[in-house]
This record gives sequence, C-alpha cells and structure tokens, in this order.
Amino acid sequence: MKKAPAAYTLYAIRKKREKNSRISLLCVFLCVLVLFPVSCSLCPVAEAKEYIDITSPALKKLPIAVSEFTGSPGKEISDIIRDDLDFTGIFLCLEKNAFLETPSQPFQQKNWTGVGAEAVVKGAVGGGGKGLLASVSLYDVAEGKELFRKEYRTEGSLVRPLAHVVANDIYRYFTGEQGIFRTRIAFIGRKGGEDALSLMDWDGHRTSDLGIKGNVLLTPRWSKDGNRLIYSSERYRQWGIYLLDFTKMTETKVISSKGTNIAGDFFPNADSVIFSSSMGGSPDLYLYSISTSKLTKLSSSRGIDVSPSVSPDGSQICFVSDRDGTPQLFIMGSDGYTVRRLTFQGSYNTAPSWSPKGDRIVFSGRQGGKNHLFTINPDSSGLAQLTDRGNNEDPSFSPDGRYIVFSSDRDGDRAVYIMRANGEAQKRITPKGIKAFGPRWSSN
Amino acid sequence: MVIKLTQEVFSMKRFLACVVIMGFAVLGCAEKQAVAPVPQPGEMTPPSQPKEVEQPKKVPVTEQVTEQQIARVESGDVPSKVEEISGLFKDIYFDYDKYEVDENAKLVLRSVADYLTKNRAYKILIEGHCDDRGTSEYNLALGDKRAKSAKDFLLSLGVPSSRADVISYGKEKALCSERTEECWAKNRRAHFVILKGKK
Repeated sequence: MKKAPAAYTLYAIRKKREKNSRISLLCVFLCVLVLFPVSCSLCPVAEAKEYIDITSPALKKLPIAVSEFTGSPGKEISDIIRDDLDFTGIFLCLEKNAFLETPSQPFQQKNWTGVGAEAVVKGAVGGGGKGLLASVSLYDVAEGKELFRKEYRTEGSLVRPLAHVVANDIYRYFTGEQGIFRTRIAFIGRKGGEDALSLMDWDGHRTSDLGIKGNVLLTPRWSKDGNRLIYSSERYRQWGIYLLDFTKMTETKVISSKGTNIAGDFFPNADSVIFSSSMGGSPDLYLYSISTSKLTKLSSSRGIDVSPSVSPDGSQICFVSDRDGTPQLFIMGSDGYTVRRLTFQGSYNTAPSWSPKGDRIVFSGRQGGKNHLFTINPDSSGLAQLTDRGNNEDPSFSPDGRYIVFSSDRDGDRAVYIMRANGEAQKRITPKGIKAFGPRWSSN
Repeated sequence: MVIKLTQEVFSMKRFLACVVIMGFAVLGCAEKQAVAPVPQPGEMTPPSQPKEVEQPKKVPVTEQVTEQQIARVESGDVPSKVEEISGLFKDIYFDYDKYEVDENAKLVLRSVADYLTKNRAYKILIEGHCDDRGTSEYNLALGDKRAKSAKDFLLSLGVPSSRADVISYGKEKALCSERTEECWAKNRRAHFVILKGKK
C-alpha cells in the first residue's frame, strides 16, 4: 500500500471539531439562559457535523493502521474491522506487515509516524466464561494520544457482529455518520429448482435461510423500520404477495389472485404497499393498506406497468412502463397523477430504486446488448453508467446511500455483488455454486 | 438488527456531559471541551455511545452486542394442488420484447379451443415465459402479457374466460441457458397445461 498523502486530514478533522465545540458551547450557553431547566438533551443537536467530508469528490483517504487484536479470536475481529473500513473508500488501511509495533506492545507514537498512519486501532480480546470481551482503543498518531477506548461484550457466536459494531464506532468517530456494517441484505437463493428467502450480513457472511421456500420467489422488499419484508411467491399456479413480520416471525398473505402479482415497495409508514398486478387484465399498479385491506388502483395503461419504487418521503413513485413502446422509467405522484417520463436514452430501462435521500435513482438499462446499472437524477439529468461487465440487475442502495447491492451474471450464474454508489470497488459477496439474486439492502 | 445500547449508561453519560459543559458555560470558561458527536434528529437508528475523547483514563464504556434470534418461518399459505396434463399442445413462440400472437401460434390456439369444446370438464392454464435478457420483474410482466394475448385469442374463438387461466414465470423457468438466438427464441414461449377437475 502507498504511504500517507501529505495532506493531513486528521488535523483538519481536529480543527473542525474544535470549531464545532465552540459553536456548541455557545448553543449550550444560550440553552442555559433561555431554557434552563428544560432538558439539556435538546442542546447537542447543533453539534452534529461531519468530520471527514465524505461527500467531497476530492476526498483524501485517511491512513489508518488496524493492529491485530491480541487474544482469541483477535485476528478475526481486527481483520473484519479492517475489511469494513477499507470497503468504504474513506480509509486507507495500511498493510500489517509494515507495522513496527507488535500487537501486544502498548501504543507508542514513534512506532507509527514512519509507517504513515494517522490513526491506529488496537485491541485485546478476552473471554471469561463463554462470553467475549473486546477492549478497543483508537489513537491519534500526530498528537500521540488515545481518542477513545471502549469495551464490547457479547456471546461467543457473535464475533462478526461485534467486529462490525467496533467498525461502526470508528467510522462514526471520523465521519459523524452511522456506518452500515451491521445492516443485512435479503435475497433469493435458488438451488435444485427450489427458491429460498435468505438473509446475510452486508458483506455476504452469515447467510441464513428464513424457511420460506417456493417454486419461484422474487422481489423481497423491506419496510423502512426493518421489521417487515414483502416478497412475491408462486404457489400452486398463483402469484401471491406475502409479508414476513420479523417481530413475530410469522408469514401472512397480503394478496393473491389470478394473474401476476409482483411486489412492490413499502410506503414509509410500513403499512401501505404498492405492487404490480394483472388481476384487472394488464399489469397495473395498485396500492394496498395492510391494516385496512383497502385496495386502490393507481395506474391503468393498455401495456405493462411494473416495478414501482416509492421515494423516501413517500410522495412519488418511480415505475416501469412500456406505454411509449419500449420499457422506460416514469415518475408519478403517489396518488397516481402527474405522470412524467424519466428516461429517454436506450430502449430498455427497468428496475428503479431510490437513494435514501431521494436525490438519485438507480436502475438497470440495456446498453450494447447487456443490462447495466445506471444512476440518474429524478429530473432526468446526470445519467451515469456504473457497470460494464455481464448483465446487472436488482439494484438497491444501502441505508446511508453510499453503496449499491445488485445481482450480476458476470462470473457465470447470477450472484450478489456490492459496490460504492459511484461504481467503484465492485465485489461479489455470495459464494460460487449457489444462484443468488433479488438482493435488497435492509434499511437499518 | 439494531445496535442495542445500554440505554441507562448512555443517557447518564450524556446528562453528565451536559452538566459539565453547562458548568463551563456558566462560568464563562472558554476552554476547549471535546463533545461527543450526536446524531441528527430523524436518524433511523438509535444514537451511538458518547465518545470519551479527553479522559481516556476513565473506566471505558461497555457496549453489549446483541442480535435478534431469527427463527425459521413456515409458509402457511398452501393452496390445494390440481391434477395437470402437460404436453398435449406445442408451445407457441414470440418475438423479442413482444407479446402479439403470430399465425403459427394461432394454429395451435385453434386446436386448444377445439380441445376445450370437446372436454368440458377441463380448463387450460397458459404459462407465459421469456428469454433471460432483461430484468426479472419486467420479464414477469412480459410473460403475463404473452399468456394474456394467447388467452384473448382463445376468447375470440368462443372459449369462456373462466376456462382459461394465465400465469407468468418470466425468465425464471428457462428451457435452456445458452446465450444464443436459438436458445432465446426457444424460451420466449407460452406453454399449455390442462387442469383436470377444475371448472
């Protein structure tokens, strides 16, 4: 790996922090004068700031050294932390074999300046009974001091979640934002002609089969609170939309009818869903309230209306229609009115999904005989191609909008991949030998 | 799925931090005080732990990492199965991204209509299929339109709507998987299944 760039990002972060704390002191002072004795929990709002400006296109990676943790399974934990931080593209994770300080030696500034590290993570894992206890410290090399120290306790089977929580804390320390390292991805695994609804960690580890099997399963979609999942399932010659409630671990049928019913998306309230159904003859869009069972038809065209995706604020729906001759993306209000066409390039644009901020839409479009992923602004500007190998589909954003999960056949069978939202760092996360598709990133 | 924090520890820390800060503020002390980053209002996840920056010698914060146990769910909704007869009729084929029935298809559909007239206890299920180019959902809708076009032609021949059902499998049940025009053409089809004892 390369040595640290000359620009000293940690210094900049520190300066920003000092400025922020002065601003917040002023805020606190005003709070004390005006609101005292009203709860002080209101005050810290003004402190929330980004420390590394991760939205900057000229972002310089922060050189960080993740030292191998002592104890067992220290190496596994520090490797996971390193992999998590590395994938973000915000950190430059330095090579372990260049480190001068052994994992068991205490942190010393002089051991790290030559290595090029600006921040160092050290940790020790202990046990005591069947549990795990990890003590983690984060150091600032230039200042030669500890930035934070924290302990993490868990049961022995949760090694990976523990490491992801540590990575989230480090990520949050430097960026001021919530990391995604404990989020999960729902997907469909296909083996021997049978589909299984499955969950895995965002990095492809710890896959679990939820027990929902079917002849064909498609399109899992999360509710915003992460407690519900809807999906389409064909059972004995009928397509139904089903709901899995994670708080009760039960499956209920949302709707099934003759014709084709395809989920769809949740509205932000986790109660209303939108889906495509040909129950009225042609695939049209319908709105359905789970609590009241009220069904409303939202679109009606002679051709195909499919793949509705609800904007994060619930006010707009992006969907696919062939009403102009070829499949294209359209946007309409959530009442079904004010329809406008979004895509004008290419003759096959499908599978839209909104970014969490609502500022981008990712979709699968045909280019040079292959399906590739693109992002576009909701006003039709800023079209960008993200993939250039194989056929790519089923895209959706991570909850922080910084990454995209999708399926691709670039290495043979369909498999699940992740990448940064600008197309960098594309990597396969499901193992070879299993067909995996329809991935959807959980919202928390 | 959500990081579970020991809420008491968290709120107590924040309270203490606030008290300390207020103390400084009231005394007019402009000394730098590192303050834990606090999440924006409206964030989906609960706020993270406070960051102890300046006082590393204090007893560190301990976070309990937990996870919801996910039990397996059994699919509850299993409709009864109907006896099926497959292979009586040839598949009919469609052009790329199209759902109109051509003259060859109409020949097959006429024989289907004939069969239904003679076998009044049976009904027909028309499966719509697509080649694997394009996306799952759009192909499911396209397969639906193909099966529906075939059904509409049967209705024009006098078959009652109640005796012809449609279902789409999109690109999910391909007959072959080679990336050749021959294989794609073979997959762009409607397939006929007789359903026994279901009027």
